[in-house]
Amino acid sequence: MRRQIGRAGWGWTGFSAVVSFIYFFPVLWIVLTAFKAHTDALAIPPKWIFTPTLENFVSVFARAYIKGQTAVDTNFDVYFFNSIFIAGSSVLIALIIGTLAAYGFSRYPLKGNNTYLFIILTTRMLPPIVVIIPIFLMFRVSGLSGTYLGVILLYTAFNLPFTIWMMKSFFDELSPEVEDAARLDGSNGYRVFFRVCMPQVKAGLAATAVFGLILTWNEFLFALLLTGVETRTVPVAMAQTIGGDIGVRWGLLAAIETLFLIPVVVVVYVLQNHLLRGVTFGTIRR
Amino acid sequence: MRDTERREPGSGPEPEAHLRLEGVGKRFGSIVALDGLDLEVRHGEFYCLLGASAAGKTTALRVISGLETPGGGRVVFDGEEIAGVPSPDRGIAMVFQTFALYPHLSVFENLAYPLREARTPGPEIRARVAEMAEMLRIGHVLQRKPETASGGEQQRIAIGRALIRRPRLLLLDEPLTNLDAKLRHDMRAEFKRLHRELGTTMLYATPDELEALGMGERIGVLRDGRIVQTGSPDELYEHPVDTYVGQMVGSPKMNLAPAQRGEGLTVATSFADVSGGPWTGTLADLPQQAGLLLGFRPTDIRPAGGAPRGPRFPARVHLTEPLGDVTVVDLDIAEDMYRMVLPESEAVGFRPGDRLDVEIAVEQTHLFHRDTGAAIGRDVAPPSGAAAA
Repeated sequence: MRRQIGRAGWGWTGFSAVVSFIYFFPVLWIVLTAFKAHTDALAIPPKWIFTPTLENFVSVFARAYIKGQTAVDTNFDVYFFNSIFIAGSSVLIALIIGTLAAYGFSRYPLKGNNTYLFIILTTRMLPPIVVIIPIFLMFRVSGLSGTYLGVILLYTAFNLPFTIWMMKSFFDELSPEVEDAARLDGSNGYRVFFRVCMPQVKAGLAATAVFGLILTWNEFLFALLLTGVETRTVPVAMAQTIGGDIGVRWGLLAAIETLFLIPVVVVVYVLQNHLLRGVTFGTIRR
Repeated sequence: MRDTERREPGSGPEPEAHLRLEGVGKRFGSIVALDGLDLEVRHGEFYCLLGASAAGKTTALRVISGLETPGGGRVVFDGEEIAGVPSPDRGIAMVFQTFALYPHLSVFENLAYPLREARTPGPEIRARVAEMAEMLRIGHVLQRKPETASGGEQQRIAIGRALIRRPRLLLLDEPLTNLDAKLRHDMRAEFKRLHRELGTTMLYATPDELEALGMGERIGVLRDGRIVQTGSPDELYEHPVDTYVGQMVGSPKMNLAPAQRGEGLTVATSFADVSGGPWTGTLADLPQQAGLLLGFRPTDIRPAGGAPRGPRFPARVHLTEPLGDVTVVDLDIAEDMYRMVLPESEAVGFRPGDRLDVEIAVEQTHLFHRDTGAAIGRDVAPPSGAAAA
């Protein structure tokens, strides 16, 4: 009997499971720690059986900074809102601008098209640590420092090159004859774009959005220097949570991280059907 | 360009041209795609544009459809210059080589798309899609996505989408290229059926002479962006205007033997002096030693035997290629290679290396200038209707 093509045996399935588990283990560790009391979290050897507690999650949002004092609001609800608002807006704006630009680069190439594309990409070649000082000064002078507008603009600019390159590759894959057919069928340029092209690159749009979201969601350095008290994002706030009267509160940090993971998991779950095709650049056909 | 058009005597005034291209040019950068293209398609006709790849077929169709603007010349459709008319308003539809179906829409929506863009009311859309689906036998795939349909079904969907707006002219750009050989044959019959049932004028571009000969009522041979000859399949076969058409039409392609004008009214090739061909009358006008090419089709050379039909000379079998009902025999004649096509039964027993005498049916030979490839006229200019007779 010939083995059915495309179906792995138990050996490979088991092997994959082991590898997956190794990769997933840190996440599991974080989630478990989030439900542990302080002493359980520090216990060596690690405790696998423990009484779960929601104490850490409560203290994410309100806790006493000094033992014995009454709990005060930590503002983490604001930081979570900031992270979602800033990442969401900048990715959305980058997607709108980047998709239009990518369509232009793909369908109406300029003279020296590749040079333009390369220049766009070079904006991402410098390490953040190199450009942070001039950007910091520019933000200071222009008064953008600490504002939503400033940090959203910055993240949009950072997401754009990647968005343009990715979306261009998706547009390049589309058959130009299909667009010609639509033109003959009575569609003008806008309708060709919105009714014929965009529905075909949905998967690409989803993949680009997820990559951009994760990148922006995790960004720390710029957020540290350019956000203010009101516009602080979760990664910065998380860093500032380390320390305190009883040493590092691992349970608390793990609880923040667990909450921080949820939006990413939700977005990826919602878009998973598109993602497979998107991240493989359409090489896997439905 | 020479038009070897057949005109029925007493058929009255010339049929009105439906579509006429006059000196249409188009260049892309330094590449000349269309070089003063003249073309005339009549009402209700199945016209085939035959040309090798990059001859300008697709560009010609795109200019007619309005996807490209011509660089010069006029495009006249039903008596109206259409250069400034937007594509959808021209009454011209096109079927693309890749079918170009909308992959994100169901087959129903693919067919409905042109109607929706024209703001046709919903009930009428449903009625016309149903009618089209029935005519093209694609009713069972209407709710599916095009990519789940078979190649032949996808082809029919593409035709349906083109026909649903009831165009006056249907352009077909190599529509069978992406189908497998068996399906191609079926679809050829399908195109003929549709043409007969609808009476829509069809302009069909193809690089395949079998498709052109099999379907076209008239064929225009396109070369380097201009028409070199227009005529019925028979006319192109019997009276090619040059070696290009001679070799393009007919399969295997026409043999061309280097020759020159010999003594008297003969043509001297390396293997025989040929005389008495249909070109004899015009031979007198040529200088002695003029460089010529003698053309004869693989079906017009045969093993010698019976009443002589032309010069006989020795040949050696180089290779045989049995194709079922016929066998193609490569012959080595005076150091040159020529093809002979025989019914399978007559070729049995031929082995590479065998020697035999062959003869050419001299009445069927063609004569061309060696430099220009242009045909040298027959005794009598092609008589009206002679080709079809």
